Formats: sequence, structure tokens, C-alpha cells
Amino acid sequence: MRHFLNPLKIFVALGCLSAVLSVLVLLGFLIQSSLPFWQAFGIQVLWGDAWYPYESLFGFLPAIVGTVWALLIAMIIALPCGLAAAIVSSEMMSETWRDLVRVGMEILAGIPSVVYGLIGLWVLLPFLQHSLDLLTGHNLLAAGMILSLMILPTIMVMSQDALQAISQEQRESAMSLGLDWQQRLFRVLLPQAWPGIRSGILLALGRALGETMAVMLVVGSMDRLPEPFYNILEPAQTLTSRIGREMGEASFGSLHFSALMGCGLILAVMAMGLSLLAQRRSLIR
Amino acid sequence: MKHIIWAASLLLSLPAVASENIAAVGSTTVLPVVSQAATAFHAMHPDVKIMVSGGGSGVGIAAMIQGTAQLGMASRETSPEEQAKLDGKVDNIVIASDAVAVVVSKAVYMSGIHALSLAQIADIYRGKIRNWKELGGADARILVIDKEASRGTRHVFAKAVLGSSHARAAGASIISGSNNEEQSIVSRSNNAIGMLSNAWLNDAVRGVDVIVHGQAIAPTIEHVRDGTYPIARGLHVLLAKNASKNTRDFVQFLLSQDGQAIVKKVGYLPVH
Repeated sequence: MRHFLNPLKIFVALGCLSAVLSVLVLLGFLIQSSLPFWQAFGIQVLWGDAWYPYESLFGFLPAIVGTVWALLIAMIIALPCGLAAAIVSSEMMSETWRDLVRVGMEILAGIPSVVYGLIGLWVLLPFLQHSLDLLTGHNLLAAGMILSLMILPTIMVMSQDALQAISQEQRESAMSLGLDWQQRLFRVLLPQAWPGIRSGILLALGRALGETMAVMLVVGSMDRLPEPFYNILEPAQTLTSRIGREMGEASFGSLHFSALMGCGLILAVMAMGLSLLAQRRSLIR
Repeated sequence: MKHIIWAASLLLSLPAVASENIAAVGSTTVLPVVSQAATAFHAMHPDVKIMVSGGGSGVGIAAMIQGTAQLGMASRETSPEEQAKLDGKVDNIVIASDAVAVVVSKAVYMSGIHALSLAQIADIYRGKIRNWKELGGADARILVIDKEASRGTRHVFAKAVLGSSHARAAGASIISGSNNEEQSIVSRSNNAIGMLSNAWLNDAVRGVDVIVHGQAIAPTIEHVRDGTYPIARGLHVLLAKNASKNTRDFVQFLLSQDGQAIVKKVGYLPVH
């Protein structure tokens, strides 16, 4: 009995319980509050392409496609850059420089998202508009680029930690085997660091998926499917930007409110799917 | 232990006794008037703090329906559905009028587009006219700025131009939110058309005349006063029937001579 009444253990157990509960409560809330919508309109709204709440038309496809595109663009930019920065700073730099880069990245991570949005608005959008000769710089490419900047520190810092955690003996034995730099990187370092890098990618994906403010300011919020589907240079919509723009007016308990909660549920399911996917792959390995 | 609880509850209750916080939420068109009036009112009644935030008319009305704010701001009439939910709970008070100007980028104005008919504006928003060339301007695609469905300006504009406040705008290229956001998109572009209250016009954001029965009418306060400008509207505050005395006093202040002077200074038409 004494064993269980240890205050530290109780504290840890309570902390764990609240973490688990908060996940369940959140999911439960999303499901419960979006349920009226799913009951009224069914699952086919997921591939509907018209979103006019006042005409009771709720098509999710444009926002889902927009979300996926923004995520993809962000990853395509941030993953190579973040990984490269981690490799360079961890394997090639002296400790002082490594720490400096790290501090820089941590500062980057601490900047509020609205600041990124405003940077996008003032710097990125005019640049895109003029250099690509577009009607407007508000588009999925801009959203993806801003997101990539926001998730870069997560990927970089986590990857750097993972690389640093590899013991020096590993590096030395790889060298004594006569492996060149490229072989050491791809055969020894990256495979060993992969679990850490993977968590970095997942955390980054989560942040990119849920980011609202910065995306809302630059994406254009136009509920229309990109035409053709790979056209990332026209204003588009993401799930988060739609929730941000419409939540204020949707009266609590209305179908519109439910539909926006449905957007939230889709985001949560996407995040869980990504996470499960990553877990599965690690098990196979 | 008891003492601590007493002290804590005393501390918590102190600010509530000493001052009152009033939340005003809604239209970003009404916002400058209310926020300047709030500053003046606070100078006279230091114990009353009025927090003013935007979001749009729809947000202001929703806040009144849900009772999350003491004062709502709206730049449009309430819809019948909203009115049904508000009935008996809220007084709707007009504090000013303004014109919803049809705005274009400076470059568009300079290329010779000074006046548009309602039909032409409707064709632009319906996607039938997509290039300024078709209206006598430069050969450039039109950046058609639509607003979030909850915005009062959108309701009034769409009703006057497209026939109904929730009409679809198939020609829209981008959605904006607050007046500031709309203003910045127009001023950054060379090809934009949008909708903005007349008080937001400036060098980079020009209002075009609207042609009614062959006559070009500028979006000015004079044309709101004489009723000739076709896209004019009242600016409302919504006051809960059970609002505190300070909140009522504040609304009275908005309607007083000093309050109406602020209305005029911002660029709207006073109610008297």
C-alpha cells in the first residue's frame, strides 16, 4: 500500500492520466460536436467541391486538397534543408558554431505564427507576385513556403539531437572500416538517427497541419479546387484557414458550426493517420 | 487556510467592484468609431474599460445571440433568422451611415476606370468580365476580391450588386476579411477591385463612381445624405436589453454631440 502512496508516483500517474484523458476528451468533443453534421449530410461531403454554408452546401474537397498541398510543399522544402542543416552542424561544425546554429533555430521556433504570417504578407507575397507575374501572391505555394520556415527548426533540432546521440565509437569504427563520408552518412549515421528524425518530421507535420494564422493570411481562402489539380499558384483554401475565417460567425450548435467541427475532426484524423503510418514503418524495419 | 481563502476571494472581487469591463465585438467598419469613443468615454469615466475587437458583423451578431459581449457592432441589418434569435433581447441602434465604395487599385483608376455601372460590377463578380480591357482599361486580368460571408460589407454590397446578400460570386479570385486586410490587398495589387467603406479610401485605394440611370455618383458622404448613392447603409450597435448602466451610457455617448463628432471625424455620416 505504501508503495502506491508515494507522492511522486501519484503525481506521475495523475499526469499520465490527464495526458491520455485530454486526447480522448478532445477527440470525443470533435466527434460529438460534428456528429449532427455527419448525420445530416453523410460522408459524401468529403469529395464535394462546393462550400456555400448559406445554401447548405458543404463540400470539403477543396480545403482537404489545399491542406495536403500546403503540407507537401512545406515538407519538400523543409525536410532537405532541415536535415542538411542538422548534418552540417552536427558532423562538420565545431561545438561553438553548433550551439550558435541551435540557438538560432530555437529562436526561430519561438516566434509567434502571426509574425510569420505578416512576414509572408509583406515580403513573400509581393515577391511571388512580381517574380512569377501572378495576379496575386496569395496561393498554396506561399502557404507552403511560410509553413516550411515554421517547421524547419523542429526538423533541424530533432535531427541534430538524433545525430548527436550516436556514440563517437560508431563514427570511429565506420571510419576505420574505410567508409567514405557518403557511406558513413547513409549507412551509419542516418539509419541510426532515423527514429529521432522521424519524430521530428511527425512533430513538424503536426504543426504544419494545425497552423492557422500564418496560413490564413497568405493562402487566399478561396474555396475552389486548384485547376488543374497541381496548380499551386492560385488562391486556395485549407481546413484550418476555413475554421479560422468562419468560426466566429457560426452560431454555436448550428449545422455550420458542426461542419467546421467536422473540419477539425478531419485534421485530427489526418494527424493520427500520419502518426500511425510512421509507427507502422518503424515496426516493419 | 481559511484566511488565505478569504484573502484570495477578496483580491479577486476587488477589481470587479472598482471598475467595469465592457466588451464590444463585431464590424470592423463600426470599430474605429466605437474604439475612439471608448477612449473618450474612458477619459470621462476612468472606472469603465471598453474592450473593442473586430471579427465582422456576423461575429458581432453571433456574440449578442450567445451573450458573450455587452455590445455588438454591425454594418448591416440583421437577417430574419438572426432577428428571430435576437428578438426581445437586444436593441438595435443606428449610430451612423456610410457608403460601401467600389474600390480599385490606383493603377486601375489611373488607366481610366473612373466609373462603373452596377451591371458591370455584377458581371465582374459573376466572372463574365475578367479583364480590365473589356471595360476600357489596361490589358490585365482583374483581381476580384470577395469578402468572408459573415462580413456586413459583403452583405450590403452583394445585395445591391448581385441581388441577394449571400449570392455566389463565381468571378472572385480571393477572399478577404477585415477592412484593413481588404485595403492592403487592393493597395498591393495593380489590378484589384473590391468593396470598402468610404472611410477606408486613400491614394492607393480609389473609389470609383457608380453609374445610376446614366449618372455617375461618387461614394461620398454627401451622396449618402441625399440618398443618391446606391450602396449606402446604416452602421449599428446592438445593445442587450439587460445591459449595465455604463453600457447604456456609452451608447448614449455615441449618439451625443461628442460621439457624433467622432463619427464625422472617422468619415461617416452622423445620424443627426
